[in-house]
Amino acid sequence: MSQLTEEQTAPPKRVHRQRSATQWAVAWRRFKRNKSGVAGLAIVIAFVVFAIFGPLFAPYPPRSTESLLQGQAGQPPSWKHPFGTEINGIDVFSDSIWGARNDLWIGVAATAIATLIGLAVGALAGYSRGVIGGILLGIIQFFFVIPTLLLILLFSRVFQVLVYQGFGVNLIVLILGLFGWPGISFVIRGEIFRVRELEFIQAEKALGAGNLRILFRHIVPNVLTPVIVLASLLVAGNILTEVVLFFLGFGPANVATWGELIEEGVQYVSVYPWVALFPGLLVVTLVLGFNLLGDGLADALNPRLRE
Amino acid sequence: MIPVFIGVTLFTFLIGNAAGNPINLIRLAFKGTLPQNVYLQLVAYYHIGENPLIRYLYYLWDLIHFDLGLSITSQRPVASEIGPWVWTTLYLQLSALALALLIGIPIAIYSARHQHSKSDTTITGIAIFGYSTPTFWLGIIFIYIFSFYLRVLPSSGAVSAITPWWGNWTLDRIAHLILPMTVLTYVQLATIIRLLRGNLLEVLKQDYILAAMASGLKERAVIYGHALRNAITPIITIIGLSLGASLAGAPGLETAFSWPGLGYEFTQAALALDIPTVLGITVIISVMVLVANLATDLVYGFLDPRVRVS
Repeated sequence: MSQLTEEQTAPPKRVHRQRSATQWAVAWRRFKRNKSGVAGLAIVIAFVVFAIFGPLFAPYPPRSTESLLQGQAGQPPSWKHPFGTEINGIDVFSDSIWGARNDLWIGVAATAIATLIGLAVGALAGYSRGVIGGILLGIIQFFFVIPTLLLILLFSRVFQVLVYQGFGVNLIVLILGLFGWPGISFVIRGEIFRVRELEFIQAEKALGAGNLRILFRHIVPNVLTPVIVLASLLVAGNILTEVVLFFLGFGPANVATWGELIEEGVQYVSVYPWVALFPGLLVVTLVLGFNLLGDGLADALNPRLRE
Repeated sequence: MIPVFIGVTLFTFLIGNAAGNPINLIRLAFKGTLPQNVYLQLVAYYHIGENPLIRYLYYLWDLIHFDLGLSITSQRPVASEIGPWVWTTLYLQLSALALALLIGIPIAIYSARHQHSKSDTTITGIAIFGYSTPTFWLGIIFIYIFSFYLRVLPSSGAVSAITPWWGNWTLDRIAHLILPMTVLTYVQLATIIRLLRGNLLEVLKQDYILAAMASGLKERAVIYGHALRNAITPIITIIGLSLGASLAGAPGLETAFSWPGLGYEFTQAALALDIPTVLGITVIISVMVLVANLATDLVYGFLDPRVRVS
């Protein structure tokens, strides 16, 4: 009841604004009740904070072999080196912190690129009937047929041979972004097909609304929910791809990422198992966070599961 | 299907020609240590000097005749090298997939029927860990525990070099298969349980399930005869679509176990910029995926009568 009175006492303008946001308010209320979704959000927020402020407290600069000079290479976890050190004296804890920053950047930036391309291509493919739509659908399907992960590896290798390695992790961001969009555009295309034929769109057309008004007022809000869910899951997928890429030796040299640490750990796993163990646990936790968040969002934003 | 095939070949051809022609790329990788005889061989094979369109047509012509060129690192025909790799990848992937379906379907049904119970929460929890874990990392943990610490299973390869594990060559192959297969099964199990459970939850709410229950059919008959049949068709599509990823052979996992399949060999070839091998593997996988998609459509028609009619 207290909420009701608060709404009543608020100025009319605010009431109006609240009403237009109800779809999101409802989704948020449902999301808050989903324990695993909230846990996912908490994990993601924790890692974002960790990635932004962690490097201020990182004991060593990235890829620093300082411990080697102090004769502390290959040490098991201790108070001085919480995750131990690897054979070249790199402090695993310190590099994991720098790795969090790079991994989140790769995951989020690559997803942003993929989402933008996916939105544009998907909208175009959904809106244009005939030849252009057919060609775009062909391109999207083509990406489902080719072995994407292998081509990501090949692109990364070819670019590092052709272009001098000045790009660092942004090369990986670019490649993952360029290969990540087909799934999103396929869903958007299907969603536009579905929404376009709904009665309220026909009614809007009959009332004389232009294409742009229909696109931005009706189709975009309808398409946005699956995009948010897919993007969250894509971040998880991109981080996993990054880890495989670096593990297989296709990443740019001298970059602190979790995949790079795991690659170094694997070579001496029988002697220094902690080098591969701890970064891997971080990968699992962060990816789990994004997956839980994506699943939670999917439940919260799904209009068919209304209470 | 044919436009997609042409798209695939055009795409692989363009990657191979990213530095003007394949030889430039190979020379960059070898940094001037490319042997002269190999170089001349490559010039003849790729018809250097012709224009790119003619070169592409030559490439397509060779491809149709299963001529994928010579591997640069091993100097053997790529087409004959790929055969065993395909087989090694397939028997790992398919045995894991079969096992995952065998275990996954009953678990998903149990989980869906007891939604929100403690066992359901545990099952979904274990499943979500499965698709959040890098397969190869899990493989490394397994190798550390079972090969280095307990010393009960081999850590790498598909078969022993000298003395067979467990004293017999058949058992030796099985011993090598166990660890990678277990990891792969777990990961595929996670996907199957997650999707099937979600689909079942939606199907079980449908009116026809209620009608079947009301007509006095046994719950078992309703679930296996009606609900599962409708819930599993999307899974078949997903498996068909993800076959490309499966055939690519999880390069991470195969490398962790030094499993001589397509993924592992592709990784080695790409690192050495052995372009003929790389393009050969890409084309072979793409063609197999096209065939698999066709097969999926046929299976789909078999499972879903509505598709058959149209």
